[in-house]
Amino acid sequence: MKKAQIIGVGCTKFGNILTSPELKDKTFQEIVAEAAFEAMDDAQIPPEKIDVFYVGNMLSNTTQMYSHATVLADWLGLRLKGGYHFDTACSTTNTGLGIAAQSILSGKYKNVLVVAGEITSSCPKGVNPLEREAISPTTLWKWTDFGMDHVYGYHHFYDVASAYGAFTTIAYMKRNKLSFEEMDKIMMEVNRAVRKHASMNPKAITYERGSLEQEARKEGFSSVEDYWKSPKNPFFAWPARLFSALNSADGATAIVVSGEAKKYTKKLPIDIAGFDWRTSNFPWGDEKVYPYPQDTLAFKTAYQMAGIKPSDIDYLYVHDCMQIYQLVLSEVAGYFPKGTAWKAVLDGRTMYDGDKPLNISGGRHGGGHAFDASAGMEIYEIVKQMRGEAGKKQMKKPLRVAVQHNHGYGMHTAVTVFKKGK
Amino acid sequence: MEPIAKKWYDNLAKGKIMGIKCKDCGAYTFPPLTVCRECRSRNLKEVKMSGEGELVMYSSTMLPSAKFADLGKKAYGLIKLKEGPVFFTRIDGVKYNTPDEIRKGNEILPVKVKAKIEKVKGMNIVVFEKK
Repeated sequence: MKKAQIIGVGCTKFGNILTSPELKDKTFQEIVAEAAFEAMDDAQIPPEKIDVFYVGNMLSNTTQMYSHATVLADWLGLRLKGGYHFDTACSTTNTGLGIAAQSILSGKYKNVLVVAGEITSSCPKGVNPLEREAISPTTLWKWTDFGMDHVYGYHHFYDVASAYGAFTTIAYMKRNKLSFEEMDKIMMEVNRAVRKHASMNPKAITYERGSLEQEARKEGFSSVEDYWKSPKNPFFAWPARLFSALNSADGATAIVVSGEAKKYTKKLPIDIAGFDWRTSNFPWGDEKVYPYPQDTLAFKTAYQMAGIKPSDIDYLYVHDCMQIYQLVLSEVAGYFPKGTAWKAVLDGRTMYDGDKPLNISGGRHGGGHAFDASAGMEIYEIVKQMRGEAGKKQMKKPLRVAVQHNHGYGMHTAVTVFKKGK
Repeated sequence: MEPIAKKWYDNLAKGKIMGIKCKDCGAYTFPPLTVCRECRSRNLKEVKMSGEGELVMYSSTMLPSAKFADLGKKAYGLIKLKEGPVFFTRIDGVKYNTPDEIRKGNEILPVKVKAKIEKVKGMNIVVFEKK
């Protein structure tokens, strides 16, 4: 049977293109090429053998680009190849895997490059493409909020922090009869895991800051608890604190998907065994807030396509722009029974060396959030883990089946099921 | 097809809050769309909304949307409308200046809220007020 398999992955440093040594002085074109070349080299595939490439990018204001494939063809060494720009916001690279699988399984193409890049920190200053100026968080969110319906939703006192972060947390507290103090402690432990995992990922945006414990000490606090509750970590929207939210980043990621893996690489190929996408405009759910119907449907349909049950999943990544979603979505995915994900976190079971590893790339806070490119960092982690190339962060349990979920603002759900290939 | 959004905003300017009711499944959609949000039908009738609902939860934010950033701190809430749909907008009549006020305010929910029309940044929009 024909298969679509991941044979190469690439990921730049996630940081700030104005200041991070790994990104500084590079253009958008160059960071995208850097990720693409890492993926092609990893797959040992020459550019001539790439049939088509799909490019993700959301913030045209910062990249000054649309219909990106035409410009990037030259920079990627893919001139005269097929290609187009696509965008499902923060789920884009995850969605790209399904698009690549369709392209291969239909018989049209043999080798596909999915690549995405994002710049969230800055935009070109005037007409000089090499000179950039920082943008404020308000400006970044003004452009990001084009993900929201601008006829009704956005113009009625829309606030993503309340709608997406605070209400989900309040609903989780109510549903599981947790006090605010208990919930705050749980969210601190979620963040502690996020930072620990990111401190083991040199490409992560918080890598240089180390673990939450190390940062607390450096900031002069005697305990992580004191640091967590300090003015350094205010309520973004009560009960969700700042450290429970994403860190916006600049970066790029790439994946090579092939229908003829054996021709190029001896490394373990990873099967794209199932995928599903679902869309919904705001408000995404009902008064219970969770589960959103789109997530339930996407998990169920992707599992059916891959022929798996939730109990088959060895590793799960769920979208964590707001870290509360690690808890709610891992339950919706069936990775934990309803109402128990928080206990698994407190027991340390969700760490890379635990029996139920969850979001071990560092997620959208620790890894950083370069909108359309971010899902690629999560795919990168899954592929390296499945191959046994994750170094000191290698999972202790065998990894045969992994599932990745993403939300693209606002809101596109993408779920992909990965299986260890042959 | 008649313009839908313009008509809705024009009605707000006249003091009327309209929605649509599906002639096939009976569900309400608010604000009005081209189709029933529940069953996808285009067989719809325009109806006046009661403006009544329950505040399910609310919070406030460090980083308001660009449109509202210069208006200062506000409370944002999720409302379950009497007719069924949920709606999200500014909430008046609740306390939100400190985390503790938001916490205590949420402990007594749900409470009844009533819609009102307000001109914000040149647009008539619907906000809700705790009675």
